[in-house]
Amino acid sequence: MRKQQVAVRGGVFDVEVWDAGEGDPVLYLHGEGRPTWTEYHGALAEKSHLIAPLHPGYGGSTGTEQLQDLPDLIYYYLDFLDQLGLRDLPLIGHGLGGMIAAELAAVQPERFTKLILISPMGLWIQDDPVEDFFAVPPARLAELLYHDLDSAPARAAAEVPTEGDALIEYHVERAKSMATAAKYLWPIPNRGLAKRTHRIAAPTLVVWGASDRIASPAYAEAFRERINGSHVEIVERAGHLPHEEQPDRLAELTLSFLAGADR
Amino acid sequence: MKLEMFHLMPYRELPEDFAEKYRSVWVDIPSHLFDPVRAHEMYNDTLDELELGATVGYDGVCVNEHHGNGYGMMPSPNIMAASVARRVREAAIIVLGNSIALYNPPVRVAEEFAMLDVISGGRLIAGFPVGSSQDVNFAYGMNPATFRDRYYEAERLILEAWTNPEVFAFDGKYNQIRYVNIWPRPIQQPHPPIWIPGGGSIETWGWCLEKSYLYAYLSYSGFKRGKLVMDGFWKKADEMGVERNPYHAGFLQLVAVGESESEVEERFGPHGEYFYNKMLHVYSGFQDAPGYRTIDTLKMGLLGQTTRFGDRPPFLTWKDLCANGNIVAGTPSQVVEQLEYVIKDLHIGHLMVLNQFGSIPHDLATDNITLMGEKVLPKLKQIWDGQWEDKWWIKPLATRRQVSPLRPSAPTAPRTPAGVR
Repeated sequence: MRKQQVAVRGGVFDVEVWDAGEGDPVLYLHGEGRPTWTEYHGALAEKSHLIAPLHPGYGGSTGTEQLQDLPDLIYYYLDFLDQLGLRDLPLIGHGLGGMIAAELAAVQPERFTKLILISPMGLWIQDDPVEDFFAVPPARLAELLYHDLDSAPARAAAEVPTEGDALIEYHVERAKSMATAAKYLWPIPNRGLAKRTHRIAAPTLVVWGASDRIASPAYAEAFRERINGSHVEIVERAGHLPHEEQPDRLAELTLSFLAGADR
Repeated sequence: MKLEMFHLMPYRELPEDFAEKYRSVWVDIPSHLFDPVRAHEMYNDTLDELELGATVGYDGVCVNEHHGNGYGMMPSPNIMAASVARRVREAAIIVLGNSIALYNPPVRVAEEFAMLDVISGGRLIAGFPVGSSQDVNFAYGMNPATFRDRYYEAERLILEAWTNPEVFAFDGKYNQIRYVNIWPRPIQQPHPPIWIPGGGSIETWGWCLEKSYLYAYLSYSGFKRGKLVMDGFWKKADEMGVERNPYHAGFLQLVAVGESESEVEERFGPHGEYFYNKMLHVYSGFQDAPGYRTIDTLKMGLLGQTTRFGDRPPFLTWKDLCANGNIVAGTPSQVVEQLEYVIKDLHIGHLMVLNQFGSIPHDLATDNITLMGEKVLPKLKQIWDGQWEDKWWIKPLATRRQVSPLRPSAPTAPRTPAGVR
């Protein structure tokens, strides 16, 4: 995996972009948590050129202060796509990135050949609310994110420094990434996507972890109902981060869907 | 030296097992625990206590804003301020304050504060807190990523509303108003003194110093921890070349006074323990929404020392609380000695005192306030005399309209004895 910085909108944004592989581009937008490059991403990069930018505010991507709300973020991503000359490509997003992906696919439906939404945010079911993960103390978050608390990723996530510089660094990193997520998801992760989903034209796959305790699989059905021609795959033994807990299964579903017919 | 009486307006009758049974006294405290009939007593006791405080010699009375909070039941401090503005004749009415970013539009704050200033004859002190994360982000849903920006915009809008004599248009990021034009305008010119209650965010220091707003460090952690924050403030003042005028800063302190140490412990002990162990039982997930603290504050690493609900022993006894400086308690001479030390050590010109805290009932609060007025306040007021000028104080009208007697005199309803439902 390569990391490089890309200037967008004449340098207003300096964007950290991860990419790997060769061939046709595929765009991946990460979720609200700390961005990770997993076996899932590696598997996709074996078949295509996977491009994974970090949202402004995350890691080395600057310019978050230029973005006040979701429309600002969507126009930023249109600039990003133009800058890299990306069109006619599949779009994958997880969590917050799934919400952004769905918005982009609604704003420019002709631009994307396929849409894959992995546990996306963006809808709200009053009787089955998305967990208020912003109010969950960091040490307890792992309990909500993972199916298997004994798995390596879950154990790593549960390790929160308790004092000293490590704690300060942890708080700073969390403040940067989660404050950025809050801009688009606080206090309720609903910015009106349901009013725009009818515009999505790309064949759409919605993937949900069967044990997702952040947003229940009922949301998979809610997305399916709103996006024409979409279908749902539930991943067993996975929580909110199926790319971490079941990378092979998620890669299989993704590659098989990408190999299928475009619209 | 100015001494002001602060009141939080706590709910005095939380169930015995509150901290075991419920996760937070703030944000999601169950509404069914609130008995409006009992609260009728509590609110009126509070208003009486504030009015008494002004009578016994406090220079001002302070009210503040909280939402969904069992220890602070003033969602609208302006209502409390308005309630006391007529019977409190001389003292400053200190509203600490309105979380200005919450008001839509913030012009509302400019208007209500102007009303209070006009009604009180120029005795309003206007507090502009950023607001606690529990209040602004969790209870009121304000986005933590943008609310500080919104706060600065609200301050700009209110200041211009007070000072621009013309109708003007305001084209902000968060507020667009074609006709900003407040009616009434404040008596105090160019505007009432502005105090900024802070909880330990370091950017607030620089901002208060730059704008010449008073910095009021409001925490319940007492003067020993408060010293860390106030030292940071004065160090920042040195860096910015601002003189160390103690009146530029204020501090909140819980105080209990009585005839003997043992009497004070016996009478106030359970109520202090109620406050610290039950009322400050706040779910840690509501402490700091992501983005609430700026990166600079986080990097200072002050959080562990200044957040009000950091790690603490499971139960604090009265002796712990006195030893830690959370509560200053004792005989009048002991309290005078300790407060004089606090005032000089923290270098503050305004001491805000909580004489009612936790479950302290009205009669005990009354005793505490009265004794403070008789034996403590007179011994402290002369500190800083002749050394510094208080540029953060009210400028009341010399001649003010007083409350007219009602004609004919109305019969007064008998008061329900405390404890009777």
